[in-house]
Amino acid sequence: MGLKTSTKPFEERIAAAAADKFATASIAQSQDAQYVKREGARSELGHWQEWRKIGQSIRQHAINYLPDYLEEFSDHVDQRGGSVFFAQTPAEANTYILNILKEQESRHVVKSKSMVTSELDLDQKIQALPDTTVLETDLAEFILQEDDWDEPSHIVFPALHKNRDQVKAEFEKIGYVGDNDPEKLARFARHYLRERFLEADVGITGCNFAIADNGMINLNTNEGNADLVDSIPETQIVVMGMERIVPSMKEAEIMDNLLARSAVGQRLTTYVTFAGPKAQDEADGPTNFHVVILDNNRSEALGTEFQEILQCIRCGACLNVCPVYRHLGGHGYGSLYPGPVGAVLSPILGGYEQFGELPFASSLCGACTETCPVLIPLHPLLIKHREVETDRLKMMHGFKDTQMKIVGKATASPFLFKMGLQFKHFGMQAFTKHQTPTALNFFAYQGAMIKNGPGLIKGWTDVRDLPQPPKHKDDFRVWFEHHQANQGGATK
Amino acid sequence: MTIINREKFLNHLADRLDQPRHQLAQHPYQPISDLPQTTLADQTPAELLATAKTHSEKIPVTFVTTAKAQLGAQLTTLIQERGGGPVLLPTTKAFEQFQLTAWQQSLAETQQVDYWQAENGRAANLKLAENANLSISFADFLLAESGTITVSSGAGQGRAFHFLPQHYISVVPQSRIVPRSTQAIAWYDDEIKAGRLGSSAIHFITGPSNSGDIEMHLVTGVHGPLDVVYVVVTDC
Amino acid sequence: MKVALFTSCMLDLMFPKVGQDMVDVLERLGCTIQVPSDQICCGQPTYNSGYVEASWPVLHNQIDAFADVDCDYIVSPVGSCTGILKEYPTLLEDDPTDPDGYYMKQAKILAAKTYEFSQFIWRVLGIADCGAQLDGVATYHRSCHMTRILGERETPFWLLEHVNGLEMRPLNGLQYCCGFGGTFSVKEPSISQLMVTEKVENIEKTGAEILVSCDPGCLMNIGGRFNRLGKPIKIMHLAEVLNTNVDPSRIRKVSEVPAPTPAPAEVDLS
Ligand code: SF4
Repeated sequence: MGLKTSTKPFEERIAAAAADKFATASIAQSQDAQYVKREGARSELGHWQEWRKIGQSIRQHAINYLPDYLEEFSDHVDQRGGSVFFAQTPAEANTYILNILKEQESRHVVKSKSMVTSELDLDQKIQALPDTTVLETDLAEFILQEDDWDEPSHIVFPALHKNRDQVKAEFEKIGYVGDNDPEKLARFARHYLRERFLEADVGITGCNFAIADNGMINLNTNEGNADLVDSIPETQIVVMGMERIVPSMKEAEIMDNLLARSAVGQRLTTYVTFAGPKAQDEADGPTNFHVVILDNNRSEALGTEFQEILQCIRCGACLNVCPVYRHLGGHGYGSLYPGPVGAVLSPILGGYEQFGELPFASSLCGACTETCPVLIPLHPLLIKHREVETDRLKMMHGFKDTQMKIVGKATASPFLFKMGLQFKHFGMQAFTKHQTPTALNFFAYQGAMIKNGPGLIKGWTDVRDLPQPPKHKDDFRVWFEHHQANQGGATK
Repeated sequence: MTIINREKFLNHLADRLDQPRHQLAQHPYQPISDLPQTTLADQTPAELLATAKTHSEKIPVTFVTTAKAQLGAQLTTLIQERGGGPVLLPTTKAFEQFQLTAWQQSLAETQQVDYWQAENGRAANLKLAENANLSISFADFLLAESGTITVSSGAGQGRAFHFLPQHYISVVPQSRIVPRSTQAIAWYDDEIKAGRLGSSAIHFITGPSNSGDIEMHLVTGVHGPLDVVYVVVTDC
Repeated sequence: MKVALFTSCMLDLMFPKVGQDMVDVLERLGCTIQVPSDQICCGQPTYNSGYVEASWPVLHNQIDAFADVDCDYIVSPVGSCTGILKEYPTLLEDDPTDPDGYYMKQAKILAAKTYEFSQFIWRVLGIADCGAQLDGVATYHRSCHMTRILGERETPFWLLEHVNGLEMRPLNGLQYCCGFGGTFSVKEPSISQLMVTEKVENIEKTGAEILVSCDPGCLMNIGGRFNRLGKPIKIMHLAEVLNTNVDPSRIRKVSEVPAPTPAPAEVDLS
C-alpha cells in the first residue's frame, strides 16, 4: 500500500465517501465527541496558548538541529547495545529489516501501531517471506489486518470507518462466537492476540519520540500493546521518521502531555513508556535492538517554507476539527496521511503528481491551524502548496488558468472592475431563469436566478443557485452617490 | 553495536538546512516557560492526595489509602476481592521497608505466590506473569494531575510484570505523590544521568488498558490489566 | 467620526442592499461615510488559489485605494475580507514586487484602523443596542475567517441580543465551515456540496426562519443551497437586521446595558 492508498481518481474517491453513510456518521460523531473531550482537557490544563508555544519551541529546535540530535541519539542507542540504521528510502529500510528477520530466522512478528511502517508497506513485505507471519496488535490495526489489510482512515483511530457488525463478521472468520458487543469483541481479540504475543520472536514498534540524550524510545498507547511488543520478543525493531526526536525526556514529557490532550482528550495516554534494549541483569525486553531512522523525502521539507510540517506530533487533532475530513473521511484523501496534516505532508513525501489535488481540497477555514498543539500554520502551508503548483510548477489543477488570470487582472484594475460592475447583470442574462424562490431576501430581482452558470460559475451552480447580479443602476456605489448628493455631502 | 549510513544521511540533512553540523553545544534547547514546573505546584500534600484520588477514580482506578501498619491486611483484602492468586510479586527490598516480610510469608500459605527473578530467564518469568491473576508492584511516583503511577523495570520486576497479569496493584507512599509528570520525569532524568538508575524501561501507567477502536466505544482490558488499584500508604 | 467603507467585491457585485443598510446604521450612530472609489477586492480569490504572483497587484491596488483617504477607521461588512486585510503585513513579507517596503508600511497603517462592521459598532463606537426591531426566530452562522483569522467571535451575538423581538436559536456545529471557502466552492463543488448540505440541515434543525451572518459569501453559499433544495429560509446580513424598524430613542451604549451573555460554545455540550 505505502503512502498512496488508492489508485482511483479523486472525484471517484469523493463520490465513494459521499455514498458511505455509516463512515460519514461515525466520523461526524467522533469529531463532535472528540471536540468536547479535547477542548475540555485543554481548558482544564489552562494557559493552552502558552503550552502550544512551548510545544512549538521544542519541536522547532529539534528540527533546526536535526543532524546533531540524530547523531547524539544514535550514539546513545549504540552505547546501550543497540544498532541504528539510517535509511534514505523505503527500499533501504525494508532491506535492512527483512535481513534481520531472515538472519534471526524469525517466525512470528508482532507489531504495534506505526504509520511509518505503513509508508514502507512493511507488513506485506514480511507476509511475503515464506516462514514468517506478522500480526498487528493495536485493536484497530488488527481489525484492518483481518479485513485483508483495509486502509486506515485516521491517524489515531485507523478503523473509524468500520462498524461493530463489520468487526464481528471479520472476527467470526477467526473463530469468534457471539454478538456485536464491542466489549466482547475486544475480549476475543485480547485472547487471540495474547496467545500470539507469547510465541513472538520479533517485535516492531513505531516511535512517538526518540530521546536524544539517552537513546530511549518513548511510546504512548492506551491499549498497552506497545509494552508487550517491547517486553516479550527477543528482538525489537523500532521504525521512526527522522523528525521524531526531542532533546531529552523532559521535553518528551511535555510533548506527551500535549499529545494526550490533543489526540484523545486524556491527561496522559494510559501507557507512556521510555525504553531501550534490555539491561544485562534484566529478564525481559529486547536483547537485539534496532532503530531504523527513515527519511523518505522528509528532508525535502528542510530549509523550505514547509519545514514546519516536520514539527507534527501526529495527534490527529487537525483531522478531528476538519470539515473536509468530516465528509471525505480518511479514504477520500488517497494518502496514508489524510486530513490537513496529510494535505500538507503527502505532496512533500510523494510529490505533486500524486498528491497535487490535496492542497486544493480545503476551504481554508483555518480550524486545523487553530487546533494544532505545536502551532503548525497548516492552512497557510496549503496556500504555499497551491502557489508552488500554480505559480512555480505551472500545474493546472482544475482552475482554468486564463479565467483565474482574468480574475487577477479584474480585481487589480479599478477600470476593469468598474466595467465588470456595469456588465455583470446583462452578462448573466442568458443564464438567468425566473422561478419562485424559497430563499428570501436573497435575489436581487424576485426569482432571477442562475442554475447553470458558465466558466468559473459552473462549479458554483452545480451545487447551489446564484442570484442574478444587480443592474448597474442598482449597485451600491451608484446608490451611495445619490445618497450623498441628497445629503449634500461631498462625493469622493 | 553498529551505526550504518549515518554520515551520508546527516550531511544531507545539514545541506538541506544549509548550516554546518555540530551546532548544538552553542545552541542547546532553552525552555521558554516554567509552566510545566508551576502547574499545580502550589498544592499542599493533602490537596495533592485529594487531586490524585479524584483523577484516579475517574479513569477508573480503585484508589485506597492505608497506614503502613494495615498495608498487609489491605493487600490481602484486595487480592481476595480479585479472586486470589496466583500472585506475582517483585524481588525487592521494598517489602522490608514497608514491613511486609511477615505478610509475604503468610500470604504464601493461602495463595500461590511467585516472584519475578531475572536469573530464571525470560521464558520462565513471562510464564509466571501470564499465569498470574494479579501482580503487586511498588511505584516510584503517583502523579496527582493525571492519576498516573510511574515504575521502572529492573531485575526484580521486568516489563511484562506490569502488563501480563489480569489485575495490577501498585503501592505508593503518600510522600511520593507529585503534582504532575514534570516532577517525575525530572527525577528519572537525574537518576539516569547520575548513573544511579540502570533500568532499561520506565513506565507511566494511568489505569487499565483500554481502547475506543470499535465505534469509539470505550472498552477496558484489550491487552494489559483489566483493572488497576493504587494503594497509597499515608504514613511514609 | 470619519469612516471609509471597505465594501468588498462581493457586496459590489451581488449585495447592494447590505451596503445601503450598513451606511444607514453607521450614519445613525454618528459616522460620516465615504466610499473610496478605486477599491476592488482584498485579493483572496487569486491569492488563496495559489495565483500569488497575480495577487500582488490586487493587494497594492487595495492599499492605494485607501492610502490617501482621510478617515479615522475603515469598516467592512465582510468578516473574511477584514481578516485578510489585517493580515496584509504578514502576506506582504513575501512580496518581491515591493522592494522599498512602501506597501508594507501602508498596509500596517491600514490594518491598524480596519474593523469588521459588528466589532466596529460594539468595540469602537461602544454601541450595544442599535434600536432595531425584528420579530422572528433566527440563528447565526459564524464564519471561519471572521472567527479564526480576524479573531472576532462575540460582537455579532451581542448585537443580536439587543434586537427587539428577535429570538436567537443556537446552531449546532457552529464551528464547521459552510463549504464556501471562496474559490473552493467552484473548484471543489462535490466536497463543498457535502459541507453546505450539512450546514443547511443544522440550520433547519434550529427551526429558525432567518439566517444571519456577517459574511455575504457564506450567506450566498448557504442561501443558494437552500434555494436549490427548495427549502425556505430568509437570508440577512447583520447590517440588514440592525437597520430594521429602528427606533432611534432606543439606541444604547455598551456601558448602559448589562454585561452580554458569553458567546455560544461551538458544540452543543449537553
Ligand atoms: S499537524 Fe498539528 S494538529 Fe495535525 S496531527 Fe500534526 S501536530 Fe496534530
